[in-house]
Amino acid sequence: MNRRDAPSQVEFLQGTLDLLILRTLLAGPSHGHAIARHIQRTSEELLQVETGSLYPALHRLEARGWISASWALSDKGKRARFYRLTALGRKQLVAERSKWEAFSRAMLLVLNPADQGETQ
Amino acid sequence: MNSFFRKLRWLAQRHAKDAELRGEIQFHLDEDAKELRERGLAEDDARWAARREFGNVARVKESVRVEWGWARLEQLARDARFGMRQIGRNPGFSAIAIATLAVGIGGIAAIFSAVYAVLIRPLPYANADRLVMIWDDMSKSEGDPRFFSTPAEWTEWRRLNTVFTDLACSQPSNAILSGDGEPEEVPARKVTWNLFSVLGAKPVLGRVFNQDEDEKNVRVVVISHGLWQRRFGGSPNIVGRKISVNDEAYEIVGVMPRGFYFMPSRDIDMWMPASFPPDLRRNFTWHDAQIVARLKSELTLEQARQSMAALSMRVTANDFRGPHSVTMIPLREQMAGKTQAALIVLLWASAALLLICCVNLGNLLLARGAARGREVALRTALGAGRGRLIAQFLTESLVFAGLGTVAGLALAMPAMRFLERLVPEAMGATRLTLDWRVLAFGIAASVAAALAVGLVPALNGARLSLEDGLRNGGRGTTGARSYWFQHSLIVVETALAAALLICGGLLLQGFQHLSNTNLGIRTEKLLTFETPLLRYKDFDRRVAFVNAELDKVRGIPGVTNASAISRIPLTVTDGSRFYLLAGQSPDSFSKQIALTRVVSRSYFTTVGAQLREGRFFETSDQKSQSPVVIVNESFANRNYPGRSPLGERLKFERLGEKGYWYTIVGVVKEIRERGVAEESRPAIYRVHEQADQTNDLPSGIVVRTVVEPASIIPAVRQAIWAVDRNQPLARIRTLEDIIDRQLSTPTQSTALLGAFAVLALLLASIGLYGVLSYAVAQRTHEIGVRMALGATSGNVLLSFGRRGLALTLVGLATGLALAAIAARSMTSLLYGFRPNYLPTFTVASLILLLVAALACFVPACRASRVNPVIALRNE
Repeated sequence: MNRRDAPSQVEFLQGTLDLLILRTLLAGPSHGHAIARHIQRTSEELLQVETGSLYPALHRLEARGWISASWALSDKGKRARFYRLTALGRKQLVAERSKWEAFSRAMLLVLNPADQGETQ
Repeated sequence: MNSFFRKLRWLAQRHAKDAELRGEIQFHLDEDAKELRERGLAEDDARWAARREFGNVARVKESVRVEWGWARLEQLARDARFGMRQIGRNPGFSAIAIATLAVGIGGIAAIFSAVYAVLIRPLPYANADRLVMIWDDMSKSEGDPRFFSTPAEWTEWRRLNTVFTDLACSQPSNAILSGDGEPEEVPARKVTWNLFSVLGAKPVLGRVFNQDEDEKNVRVVVISHGLWQRRFGGSPNIVGRKISVNDEAYEIVGVMPRGFYFMPSRDIDMWMPASFPPDLRRNFTWHDAQIVARLKSELTLEQARQSMAALSMRVTANDFRGPHSVTMIPLREQMAGKTQAALIVLLWASAALLLICCVNLGNLLLARGAARGREVALRTALGAGRGRLIAQFLTESLVFAGLGTVAGLALAMPAMRFLERLVPEAMGATRLTLDWRVLAFGIAASVAAALAVGLVPALNGARLSLEDGLRNGGRGTTGARSYWFQHSLIVVETALAAALLICGGLLLQGFQHLSNTNLGIRTEKLLTFETPLLRYKDFDRRVAFVNAELDKVRGIPGVTNASAISRIPLTVTDGSRFYLLAGQSPDSFSKQIALTRVVSRSYFTTVGAQLREGRFFETSDQKSQSPVVIVNESFANRNYPGRSPLGERLKFERLGEKGYWYTIVGVVKEIRERGVAEESRPAIYRVHEQADQTNDLPSGIVVRTVVEPASIIPAVRQAIWAVDRNQPLARIRTLEDIIDRQLSTPTQSTALLGAFAVLALLLASIGLYGVLSYAVAQRTHEIGVRMALGATSGNVLLSFGRRGLALTLVGLATGLALAAIAARSMTSLLYGFRPNYLPTFTVASLILLLVAALACFVPACRASRVNPVIALRNE
């Protein structure tokens, strides 16, 4: 079955993948595969990270200096490219996060206006 | 900035980065596969499933590389490398493609260099586009709308006009430099003091002369940069130096900058004050002045024209010849002359040729693009997007264009040497160079060509569907759509080729007409030069000197005869006088003007002119109160239609009762005194022993030789100097040189247009051949089926031949229409010759059809020889 057809899947909004990656790396260094799985798992399989977006995003963040990469052994003992959050990335995460929170609050306010109740 | 340097570092380590990315992706795949195995899939299945889940590896890599920031650059380099490899893989195709582009780009770049030099390069004057030349419009009396003006008109116009900031006037002059060094005649002009301010030109050293010096006839001169360098060694103390001009002391007051020149020729080395005598300022018949004026900034040429026409009619209202208008011509147009029209025709022709080249190359690439269907399909399968494919095709054609440009510019250089002779004598430096403008133009043309050529096959190639491409294998695919496109390309090519052929044919006819013109003299082995006679002011001394120098020259071995004439034949358009026939009332002067020449006795025999009736000059024609003249046929036909003019009498204006009555003793057949392309005029010849009532001096010498004329030049110098050591010789040329120079514009433009036409024909036939061969190759299978079903080779031959012919005919019809339009703009290049259009059109059409038939026949023949068994087995 093609996962793209899964009814429960949520489309990524522009720029949100960057935020999710930064947030995931807050917990500690991780490689691409684990990042994708972590996002999938914690979103209760609602968010599917396409490799075609993940790797370009990782390299983009690295180019901007928000994350850095180095080769290390994975928990299963294989060499993997681990990404870790930089100081710049941490700052960026805070900024992005508050931007996102403001945005989602705004979305909620518009979608569920308090004064109109359930009249419709 | 940080990010920029990081990317730069990555660029340096890009091979390591690539390996790293491969490792990273491999790790991801391995992890996925492991997970799937843990869910119970078999080893192989797990690996494939992981692969499927991952998606297109190449595309992911490509997107990551984009993030690295130098993907585009890399891509371009890769495509260019690939393009180069393609060229190497298919050298025949590539050589044709590059040569085609080289011809197109070389042609247009060379023509552009001449267009730039003549029509675009800034003239050495301030705001040159406000400068106009003003001529007397004598089309009524003279049939010449560009007749020289008079100093009197200049004086009046300057006083009364409202449209110019100022007008300057100049007259021909003679200047013999003597004193230090060999005596030398330098080209000089007498100019009014304000010429330099009208032109907005300043001397590089010293100053120009002022109004006071001009009016008081002070002996000062301004010299050219060239003369300063050549004769005075670029001496820094040149200003204030006294030199001897025409045996009088003149002071050099200024030197004009390098590159300054002004009408009528870039060779003029000396400008002296006009210092018009008071009577000349009132003389409306002395037509030898050339007037240049600067338009007021707020006025258009048309407004000025109307105002000046009215003013001129008013000024000349009381002239005994009746009033006349003026002709005003922008300076650039005046200087460029006929060359302007020739260049524009050539520029169009070279653009057409480039278009043909592009069409041809586009066709080739289209055919190849279709043959590359499999490669395209493979690339698509491997993840190349449409934009990526288009970019690749375009880069490839840019590689072709780049090589084509280099080859084309190499071709342009010899063509530019050839074109240099097109630059008119009135314009500055003639060296055409491959400067940055020509380079930029060539590169722009080739980029445009590459885009035009590359885009169609690119779009076409990128549109191929994946399944079709792969299924059809290497044979490639094209639908009816692309046939339609190729066919219209062929029509365009054929049409342009037909139009070029016809235009070339017309020019050729005009040129033949020109070169077959009967000049009235035998031109081969005739040396001409000038011995200015200003120093011989006394009439008898002058006659004695001329006869003595002619005797000396005749004594040179290899010389059969030598004679003098006041103006070398074929070179000078002016030198006319009004005349009156016996029995006419004095106001007939106004309508009758004839070229006048003063010659030595044996002139006509020396140049090989033919007598119609009467006699040439004889020894008995000595100084006398009843002198004789010889007139030409035009004169005789105009004034004595149907009867002999022998014994009739005439006199010249301005001398009133004192003027001699001349008796006509002979009629000579037309000599083209004014130039090869100039129509003849009535002319009157006097013998110099009897020419004491004119200031026409027989300073031109013509020498008939049996040896190569140029070989006697040193002997001629010695002969003249044996008579007078201080006598300069100027403008030593053979008559054939003079003719060549005059025919250079028609010669060059005919040769170039002819070359363009032949190339166009060749390219069009190659294009036709290519398209048909391609169609035959594509449809081998279909032909096989047809033949298996009973079609004869004749049927097949016909079906392909018919297609080629139909295309040619449509192209030809379009081309004929194009040519009919183009021919109209070419009339000025035919020098008044009315070509016979029908034969030109017919012959050009026949040539085109013949070549096209050949181009069709070969592939059609190949089609007809298809062996159905082999064709079908190929499947």
